Amino acid sequence: MEVLAEPVKKELVRILSPENISFEEEDILCYSYDATGRRALPECVLFPHTAEEVSLILKMANAEGIPVVPRGAGTGFTGGSLPLRGGIVMSTERMTTMEMDQENMTAMCGAGVVTWDLSQRAESLGLFYPPDPTSLKVSTIGGNIAECAGGPRGLKYGVTKDYVLALEVVLPTGEILKTAPGKTLKGVVGYNLTGLLTGSEGTLGVVTRAYLRLLPIPEEKRLLVATFDTLERAGQGVIEIVRGGVIPSALELIDGVCLKAVDEYAKVGLSGVGAAIIVEVDGTGGLTERDIERARQVCQKMGALNIEVAEEEKRMKELWGLRRAISPALKRVGSLKLNEDVVVPRTNIVELIRGLEDIGRGRDVTIASFGHAGDGNIHVNIMVDRDDPEEVERGEAAVKDLFELTLELGGTISGEHGVGVTKSDYIGMELHKDTLELMMRIKRAFDPNNILNPGKIFKEEMERV
Amino acid sequence: MKELKDYREDIERCVRCGTCRSVCPTLDTVRRESHCARGRLTLIEAYLNGEELGERYLKYIKECTLCGACYSSCPNEIDTPEIILSARAEYVKRKGLPALTTFTLKSLLEPAPLTKFALKVATKLKNLFFKNAPFESGLLSRFSLPLVGDGRLVPAPADPFFLDRAHIRALSTREDYGSLKVGFFVGCGINYLLPSIGESTIRVLEKAGIDVAVPQGQVCCGIPALSMGDVETAKRVMTRNIEVFERYGFDRIVTSCATCGHTLKDVFKLVLQDEPGMKERVEEFAGKIRDVTEFLVDEVGYRAEKREKSAGVVTYHDPCHLRRFQGISEQPRRLLEESPYEFRGMKNPCRCCGLGGGVSFTNYELSIKIAERKAENIKKSGADVVATACPGCIVQLKDALHHHDVRAKVVHVVELL
Ligand SMILES: Cc1cc2nc3c(=O)[nH]c(=O)nc-3n(C[C@H](O)[C@H](O)[C@H](O)COP(=O)(O)OP(=O)(O)OC[C@H]3O[C@@H](n4cnc5c(N)ncnc54)[C@H](O)[C@@H]3O)c2cc1C
Ligand code: SF4
Ligand code: SF4
Repeated sequence: MEVLAEPVKKELVRILSPENISFEEEDILCYSYDATGRRALPECVLFPHTAEEVSLILKMANAEGIPVVPRGAGTGFTGGSLPLRGGIVMSTERMTTMEMDQENMTAMCGAGVVTWDLSQRAESLGLFYPPDPTSLKVSTIGGNIAECAGGPRGLKYGVTKDYVLALEVVLPTGEILKTAPGKTLKGVVGYNLTGLLTGSEGTLGVVTRAYLRLLPIPEEKRLLVATFDTLERAGQGVIEIVRGGVIPSALELIDGVCLKAVDEYAKVGLSGVGAAIIVEVDGTGGLTERDIERARQVCQKMGALNIEVAEEEKRMKELWGLRRAISPALKRVGSLKLNEDVVVPRTNIVELIRGLEDIGRGRDVTIASFGHAGDGNIHVNIMVDRDDPEEVERGEAAVKDLFELTLELGGTISGEHGVGVTKSDYIGMELHKDTLELMMRIKRAFDPNNILNPGKIFKEEMERV
Repeated sequence: MKELKDYREDIERCVRCGTCRSVCPTLDTVRRESHCARGRLTLIEAYLNGEELGERYLKYIKECTLCGACYSSCPNEIDTPEIILSARAEYVKRKGLPALTTFTLKSLLEPAPLTKFALKVATKLKNLFFKNAPFESGLLSRFSLPLVGDGRLVPAPADPFFLDRAHIRALSTREDYGSLKVGFFVGCGINYLLPSIGESTIRVLEKAGIDVAVPQGQVCCGIPALSMGDVETAKRVMTRNIEVFERYGFDRIVTSCATCGHTLKDVFKLVLQDEPGMKERVEEFAGKIRDVTEFLVDEVGYRAEKREKSAGVVTYHDPCHLRRFQGISEQPRRLLEESPYEFRGMKNPCRCCGLGGGVSFTNYELSIKIAERKAENIKKSGADVVATACPGCIVQLKDALHHHDVRAKVVHVVELL
């Protein structure tokens, strides 16, 4: 790891005021991790406020060949914000301006705005920002865009990319550009750079502002939770609900292992069953009443053990609180979590579930699954003992099995967490070599010196081709 | 008391999900990873691993208000505030306390006759150092004083101190009790700064037919010392309090300070249980502690004679030490129904006021900035009066409302009964 040269440090201090820059050990430690739990130390942390500051930093870094890693809240699950090669961590935490346009139903957000703050602000104006990654109380809009985050509402409302109208972005070479007008819902002049940058994992440019689309807020919401004796039966329930003509605003599947782990913390009384599904419907004019009843009937027909329609707002919050705590609470099951978020066409989820059981048995590892099953997205967590190298190895083999199965079922190996470092070994399983080559050419066009978030998505040897 | 290294397993349970970022009042204010549980635990872990960390490490762990919001939201139930207390103690053990802190702490916690005298003189000279605030009762510091700070609004020191008042002294030797023998633990906030809370507590308890005694010789609960990492002083004052109260054989010990309540119920055990012969004594003592609102609602069933809602609108702020650490949030609200005020909730009532954990002393600017959000929410509620149940919160909220130009009165719930 190279050390930042004195003149570089001086230049950084000239660009940013002292409270927005740190070379101190304590800060460096605090910016060395994300939610993967992996570590890599940067050499400095910067907190720019504007695109102009970002531009000056990137120009210098580009000239000096210093790696720069954009970072939002550090909740990424694939190591995207880890400074693998040292250098600069550029935190967007302090880019928090927000402007709402109620009439046009759009919002302009600084990259560091927390997803929750945007959705609350929208709600106060009778508007609705649908993308809701489970981490929404923490994650930033910039991070959501970089990963194209999705959430429970994906089935009905789509994911982050479906709400991004335009981006203000700083290229690794320092140019500041805006990809589209920002307040128009359409625009086809030139390539769709907004689409290309959304999901680019901080490798093509630093997003400084996002122009987002909002919807009117649905007036009603109903929620039910049904438990089943097996995961397979619950999975079948998910398919049948949609088949029955209901498109829920959320359709979540949780297996017994997860329920047990999380109920120890949340204590909402859901452990001891094979699986549960949460169905939330929203809408206006009494439609939710009809939809929730239909969903209830389907669950009943599918042999649900227990069906609870949440009557109170408080209970709904409680159940969502439980859902949000699952992923971190899995620590109780195993010290190392190999966390994958595969997606298959919805009608194939039962086959995926069956396959998971085989993989778990075949590799002798515990598998905990949950996820936004309504859109075919299952978070598969292969739980192993970090201190048992042989078990870790079996876990890794199980990951490979899982990806093979997913691809056979017509799916993709990541629905929302991205590739980052944790999946770069596997991207060749899904993408054709020509596709990969085109992507590398795009990367080089944006970032000729490979300074922006190097080592992510593509493996090192690919970078040099 | 457990040593820092005994917390290693707890620290290792952190999966770095970042959930705690969404609730930490310091992160929200500073916008820097070092100011949330995830960052602080990472630093403490590095410290345990022998990493050379210095002043900045200390600063970051000291700038935690110990509000416990991270603990309540952590899916892995990591008790970060307890770990941070231990980390501070460990650091002090290794490096010692700065001289000024030591002096002020010792003189406040275990007032020798001489410091008491000095405090009294200071009370008389207050006009030299303070001017009267333009509204609300309180004093504004004229100079930047250590532990006071520039422009800080402080309540005028009690004159005389609560425990020194003749009618309170008389309550130390009471012989006649009703069915319950109840003692009152005063705490520094009430004794030195807000005696009216103490007076109201006694008044309301007596109105409810409870005979209460106020033992002389009781001292600070010890939390300020522990927050600064001074375990030895904390042990001493805690033991002293147990001795004083044990002599009376109370059935219940009531406090009107949320912080004291949490300390007496939980922290005493943490600090003293491994001391020779103390385990049972501290358990018994802790079992008797009740917050005044808890006692009035759960055990006395307090009811006002008449409940006309004519006095204005009141809102309620949840002290961290009451709601999160003692699980008391319904009782004070219940009591407000018995007051002549109409109740209107505020947004995010359980967000920390910013005073706790010694942050108000170590970084006043941060502390008052944390309170900004609170002041906004109070303003939005449109209440004339903010009720809460902790003298610490009251001092902080008065100051914060003054800073942010919100004209609502701040009182303890019992003062409205
Ligand atoms: C408990 C938990 C639950 C989660 N649930 C979901 C879920 O339901 N759905 C989902 O999609 N994800 C989920 N995630 C993953 C994660 O929260 C998302 O990927 C989120 O979008 C990351 O946002 P962040 O601000 O934390 O970004 P970071 O982790 O800081 O960064 C993520 C990536 O974005 C890049 N980046 C950040 N900001 C910018 C910027 N301004 N410009 C360019 N690049 C940038 C970084 O370089 C990095 O590659 C979950 C994570 C946790 C811990
Ligand atoms: S919420 Fe708990 S587990 Fe998650 S980062 Fe914070 S302390 Fe760690
Ligand atoms: S105790 Fe409060 S201030 Fe301290 S880290 Fe936890 S949430 Fe933040």
